[in-house]
Amino acid sequence: MSEHHDVNYKKIYFTLLFLLVVSIIGPEIGIVWVTLVAAFGVAFVKAYLVIENFMHLRWEKRLMKWALGASLAVMMLMFFGVAPDVMRHDGRNWVNEAAIAAVERGVAGHDDGITEGPTEMAGVAEPGVFSPTVAFNQACAACHGQAGDGAGPAGAVLDPPPANFTDPAFWAERDEDRIFTVIRDGAAAVGGSPLMVPWRNTYNDEQIQQLAEYVLEFRPQE
Amino acid sequence: MSHAKPIATLRSATGIPTGRLAIWWVLASEVVIFGGLIGSYLLHRLGHPEWADAAAVTNTTIGAINTFVLLTSSFTAVLAHQAAEKGDGKTAAKYLLFTIGGALTFVCIKSYEWWSEISHGYTIASHTFWSFYYTMAGLHALHVIAGAIIMGVVALDAYRGRELHRVELIGIYWHFVDVVWIFLFPLLYIAK
Repeated sequence: MSEHHDVNYKKIYFTLLFLLVVSIIGPEIGIVWVTLVAAFGVAFVKAYLVIENFMHLRWEKRLMKWALGASLAVMMLMFFGVAPDVMRHDGRNWVNEAAIAAVERGVAGHDDGITEGPTEMAGVAEPGVFSPTVAFNQACAACHGQAGDGAGPAGAVLDPPPANFTDPAFWAERDEDRIFTVIRDGAAAVGGSPLMVPWRNTYNDEQIQQLAEYVLEFRPQE
Repeated sequence: MSHAKPIATLRSATGIPTGRLAIWWVLASEVVIFGGLIGSYLLHRLGHPEWADAAAVTNTTIGAINTFVLLTSSFTAVLAHQAAEKGDGKTAAKYLLFTIGGALTFVCIKSYEWWSEISHGYTIASHTFWSFYYTMAGLHALHVIAGAIIMGVVALDAYRGRELHRVELIGIYWHFVDVVWIFLFPLLYIAK
């Protein structure tokens, strides 16, 4: 039933692994076009190798290539047909205000406009540089909210609810040292909720100190 | 009791064995399903540069390990096919088992990855990027799980020397699942 195909599968496999390494190392260089070629150019080559040599499309009847090609063409039609409307945010007679606003908020460092955070929100991470703002928005804001008010989207289901740093009552018996300890060792270490997990494996002491100072900025001024 | 072959498995107007014709049609429709999803993601990703912040959170190491796992499982799937062509059902079954092992490894790593992301608050509802992330990778993971189950059935038959042509068919499907991941990897993990 099946035809024999003379393919050196091992060679194809090692070529694929080599390309995988290229696609991981390429983007590390940090040049945009190298990243694009390493990520997507290599992906197309890998897909081609698998389709031709492992799926044996190379030896398949022409009918099947046409059928798959037709599928691909329909997909392209969908993509390029709607691309002008979805990718662009304005045209001659229309403006997608919601999308423009989302981009502006995002570039300014807000997370798709869930809440308004404190001032000085520089949310774009510089690679290799620790930013307490970025770290807070990535690690803490899901529960505590970007505004530190305990109203993050993931916090809604937690019991007890996440701490509200903008509440004066919260600060009645807490200081920077305590915040530092809770971030580092988790709230359970000071008799609080185990849902506030320790972060010492993610951030070093100096970074946790910066995070604690960041949290302190939410404290309402009397 | 005799098992007469249904006529559809013997007849082939196209010159392509019926089972293989069917699997190609499945894949042609899968191209539209995954293609539509990936295409929609690309449209939004290109229109929203701020998504780079969310994309920066995904774990490239885990993505790379899973790519390695799937590429390896594709390799063992094609070795199973090679063995089946030679009529060696037992060897084919052995390689299919390796492939199933790859599928299980992939799903375990994926579960760990999702667990750590969800526990950090990155849920399917927290950002449109994450909605695409969980939908695309989730649909793909369902294909991995389905493939592993079907492969178990095919491997059992192959071990008994039955229905060896099916080894090729499940292999073609499996390579397709691999190809989808080859594109999801740069889309979700590398392009930051």
